[in-house]
Amino acid sequence: MRLLRLFGATFSISLRRQLAFRADLAFQALTTVIGVASGLAALGIVYTQTRSLGGWGLGEAVVLLGTYQIVSGVLATFIEPNVVWFAGQVTSGKLDDVLLKPVPSIFLASLGSCAPLGLTQVAMGLAVVGAGLREMDAIPRAYNLFGWLVMLSAGIAITWASRVLLASLAFWAPAMELDVVYGAVWQFGRYPVSVYPQPVRFALTWVLPVAFVSTLPAQALVRGVGPALLLLGTAIGAASLLVVQLVWSAGLRRYTSATS
Amino acid sequence: MRRLMRLLSAYVWRQFLEVMAWREFVVTLTINQAITPLLGLAVWSAALPGRSGISTYYVALLVVQLMTVSYEHHTLSNGIYAGEFSNDLLKPHATVLPTLGMNVAMRIWHLLVGIPLIAALVLVVGVSLDARHSLLAVPALVLAAALRFVFTYALALSALWTQQAHWVVGFGETLIFLLGGSAAPITLFPEGVRPLGAALPFRAMLGFPAEIASGSLSGAEVLAGYGWQVLWLGALTATAAVVWRSGVRRYTAVGG
Repeated sequence: MRLLRLFGATFSISLRRQLAFRADLAFQALTTVIGVASGLAALGIVYTQTRSLGGWGLGEAVVLLGTYQIVSGVLATFIEPNVVWFAGQVTSGKLDDVLLKPVPSIFLASLGSCAPLGLTQVAMGLAVVGAGLREMDAIPRAYNLFGWLVMLSAGIAITWASRVLLASLAFWAPAMELDVVYGAVWQFGRYPVSVYPQPVRFALTWVLPVAFVSTLPAQALVRGVGPALLLLGTAIGAASLLVVQLVWSAGLRRYTSATS
Repeated sequence: MRRLMRLLSAYVWRQFLEVMAWREFVVTLTINQAITPLLGLAVWSAALPGRSGISTYYVALLVVQLMTVSYEHHTLSNGIYAGEFSNDLLKPHATVLPTLGMNVAMRIWHLLVGIPLIAALVLVVGVSLDARHSLLAVPALVLAAALRFVFTYALALSALWTQQAHWVVGFGETLIFLLGGSAAPITLFPEGVRPLGAALPFRAMLGFPAEIASGSLSGAEVLAGYGWQVLWLGALTATAAVVWRSGVRRYTAVGG
């Protein structure tokens, strides 16, 4: 509860800070609109040549793209502002500041500040999901909607865990800055994993679980999801939270600070 | 001219060595640049299975992408914001030279780092490159590299007016992605839009050399494409010169 209150206060301060820069606000909104529009346009061009992409129709692929935008928006709003170039905090000793505060360090280091304007991407993502459902001329059943929300939550948990896990590498190899690579691999979530050839598909499902971010939640919404997959998604989401806690604790034991 | 080339070579060599100090980071940048051609390859191979030329086009596009990367929003714009641009203005040669030197050095690094990936793709996806088409694509690649530098340089100069130069260049890159042949080869655009896609400068910066290399253009289309490249290079160079002249008067820096 205390963490939730802190999270709310952080969000409020960050929002007021961002709203003070109105030109930035306009550019951010415009960037989001252009990014989403270009993704839709790219998808539109593909579907002028085919009716099915990896077994997905146009409406289904649009729902998937919208789901991807929602998780990307959450990543950009709550996670990235904290962990981007995290290795710098480790090598400069600035992490001391986080460790000295009476709050779990993993919370403060990964969710301690945010960029609320990134939520425009979440809103755009929701609109795109709506547009996809409209294209399919389908009203999702309550169970499908529930499955989508559960899988989306699991996807967000996996996203947070994978991003923090990547940042935690800095405790062992501070010279290895993989932020750009994470952003690059993230792009694979724009399309259904069935598009990719087999070794890549396996890797995107089980090694770098991009499939859990967009393909599986979107599949739950447009095609339904069995209880086994729902349980698997929940279990993997929960396991990823546990793993990241363990890795973070192990990393902190290696941290020696750089200041006096 | 000879002095200019000697200076440029010196800058390229110096900055090539500078980049060597953070070569691990260049590996991550190269992976980032390779993603859109790889995504295009996967998506279009799944959308049109068995269609000849798709693999060759996207592998050629990967080469073009790596040889035309431009980071002037980081090198030039950040230099303007930090006031380091003053150093370049004071030097007794064209101000563009250090930025151009860094651009060429980065492209060489991207290509060197990307060679294993290109080789692996050639082996895995089965590329069929024709020597005549490849040779014909070389001048187009040089023009595309020049065009993309001039385009990004002109956009990066927006740092002289606004704090949003990264956004301005990002917008330009989105246009290149969408209309340059990365999201889809121009030859696969809907028929009504195809002539427009072929005439815009974005295809001339990226997709055109890859289209020639993959053998998807007729002789007349190749000639027309070269015409557009030369035309756009002239127009964008003139635009960049005008932007530079009006922008440099606004530049102020503090310190010394």
